[in-house]
Amino acid sequence: MKLLEIKDLTIHYVLDEDTVEAVNHIDLALEKGEALGLVGETGAGKTTTALGILGLIPDPPGKVISGEIIFEEENLLTKSAGQMRKIRGEKISMVFQDPMTALNPVLTVGDQISEVIKLHQNIPIAEATARACQMLEMVGIPAERINEYPHQFSGGMKQRVVIAIALACNPTLLIADEPTTALDVTIQAQVIDMIRDLRAKIGTSMLLITHDLGVVADICDKVAIIYAGEIVEYGNLTHIYNETAHPYTKGLFGSLPRLDIMVNRLNPIPGIMPDPTDLPQGCSFAPRCLNKCDRCDIEPPQNHEISPGHIVRCHLYAEDADDCREVK
Amino acid sequence: MSTMSVSAAKKIPKKKSRFAETSRLFAKNRLAVIGLIVLILLALVAIFSNQIAPYGEDEQNLRNTLQTPSAEHIMGTDNLGRDVFSRIVYGSRISLVVGFISVGIGLAIGGGLGAIAGYFGGRSDNIIMRVFDMMMAIPSMILAIAICAALGPGMLNTMIAVGFSTVPNYARVVRSAVLTVKQQEFIEAAHATGSSNVRIILKHILPNCLAPIIVQASLGVAGAILSAASMSFIGLGVQPPTAEWGGMLSAGRTYVRNQPHLVLFPGIAIMMTIFSLNLVGDGLRDALDPRLKR
Repeated sequence: MKLLEIKDLTIHYVLDEDTVEAVNHIDLALEKGEALGLVGETGAGKTTTALGILGLIPDPPGKVISGEIIFEEENLLTKSAGQMRKIRGEKISMVFQDPMTALNPVLTVGDQISEVIKLHQNIPIAEATARACQMLEMVGIPAERINEYPHQFSGGMKQRVVIAIALACNPTLLIADEPTTALDVTIQAQVIDMIRDLRAKIGTSMLLITHDLGVVADICDKVAIIYAGEIVEYGNLTHIYNETAHPYTKGLFGSLPRLDIMVNRLNPIPGIMPDPTDLPQGCSFAPRCLNKCDRCDIEPPQNHEISPGHIVRCHLYAEDADDCREVK
Repeated sequence: MSTMSVSAAKKIPKKKSRFAETSRLFAKNRLAVIGLIVLILLALVAIFSNQIAPYGEDEQNLRNTLQTPSAEHIMGTDNLGRDVFSRIVYGSRISLVVGFISVGIGLAIGGGLGAIAGYFGGRSDNIIMRVFDMMMAIPSMILAIAICAALGPGMLNTMIAVGFSTVPNYARVVRSAVLTVKQQEFIEAAHATGSSNVRIILKHILPNCLAPIIVQASLGVAGAILSAASMSFIGLGVQPPTAEWGGMLSAGRTYVRNQPHLVLFPGIAIMMTIFSLNLVGDGLRDALDPRLKR
């Protein structure tokens, strides 16, 4: 059963002078219990997608132009503010990028965890506090630290608290927005391990937003590569890592250092992301693409399913694209 | 899970209440404690004026005017032979009440509207702040005089007038503090946990804005006492013969050359109140900020 299905979602930021096309016609699906990695560069529209699911796009300037977000068979985009408030935190919760700023400095961590519980479940305060202790222990923090303030915790510990808050109501979907980006590598590994263990324990589905392909390989079942607000490649781990199809995904792998091959220089993708207020007419990736052909400048590519469940948005895989393949 | 919760429940240290925690931290700040003691003494003086004052509030003795301090009148007497000490004791009632209530009025209205303007932004911000800009274009003293003149003299009307004329100041302070805090990620995180706007303002934003609000309010009490004094000076505030520090100050002005004690003692009383309030305000601000805990 599909837990979350995003269809043709388009989100723009309408500014005075121009429009930022942050998310353009993306389709995503997430099965119950699965973890989906959403990978892309800075500014590719990852966070906008996540905020779109939660209904937290700042409006103005943000506008959902089209599409549907179907969560547990209901379209979230048609829900009222009050209904969304009930869903946020209870059914869908979010882990933020920077644990240093995601906690309220003047409330104890216990208060912040039990607040979510009190907000969504009608239980006595003592019980909410007990549950907060339980959550703290679950993320590996001794329960006696419940009355301490965020500044008394280290960065990794704070991120654990943030995760405890997100999981406090047993959400069915957890959105993690670059949960490890602000942490150093050893703590990253700890947090990733913890997320994986907790997911195994409570069976929450997860949408993991990151630019780290290594982390995705570690904990996700499916991967969506996003570029300039479009999903350019979507598939399971084998599809993306072993049968890489889209030139952009290939470029991403090319720019990663590898342990098994000796290289002197990494192979970054040339150029920068197109200005989201002025996207190219054809394929957004065309200006940087090594396999570019004439068609790419004129006509936006369609989705092509090259093997079951492996979808690529590129002219290379169109049936009538021989001219492109020749160049390659 | 259940075994874990049992073991967890045992280990949890008892949570100290916010009040206990704050007062413990406050007690560490010696100056603030001194300020608080002075304030409490002043409050006691105000409550027990009848017992403390050796003479009546408007007990005149025209054969004994403009005396310098002596054993009989420890702060001397004024131009009508009234005991200055007794009048200061009685005046503390009016001055303290006027000071605190006016700030309360200003803070409640200005703070509330400022928080709304800062949090929601856009049109509500524009409407609220433009109205306050118009109010600020009128000097607050003139505004207070106008309000007081419209409502008529008297203590309650003075408080309303003084409180109302300071509303824009509080609104600006609160709004700017809210704007800074609103940008922080934990506010977005609070949205993501499904908190309502009211809850976010009250629980997440305002506690993080306390520092500038407390400073502004403790300075504001001083300003309010002085404004109330000016109101009585021009005959719109508390009416004579009711004793009030500001009124005594302005009445003593005429005699400042030969009988400086007439302005000295009410002045000292106002200064002590304001100084101790500022100390308490500073201490409170530090005690309420968990990041400063040592």
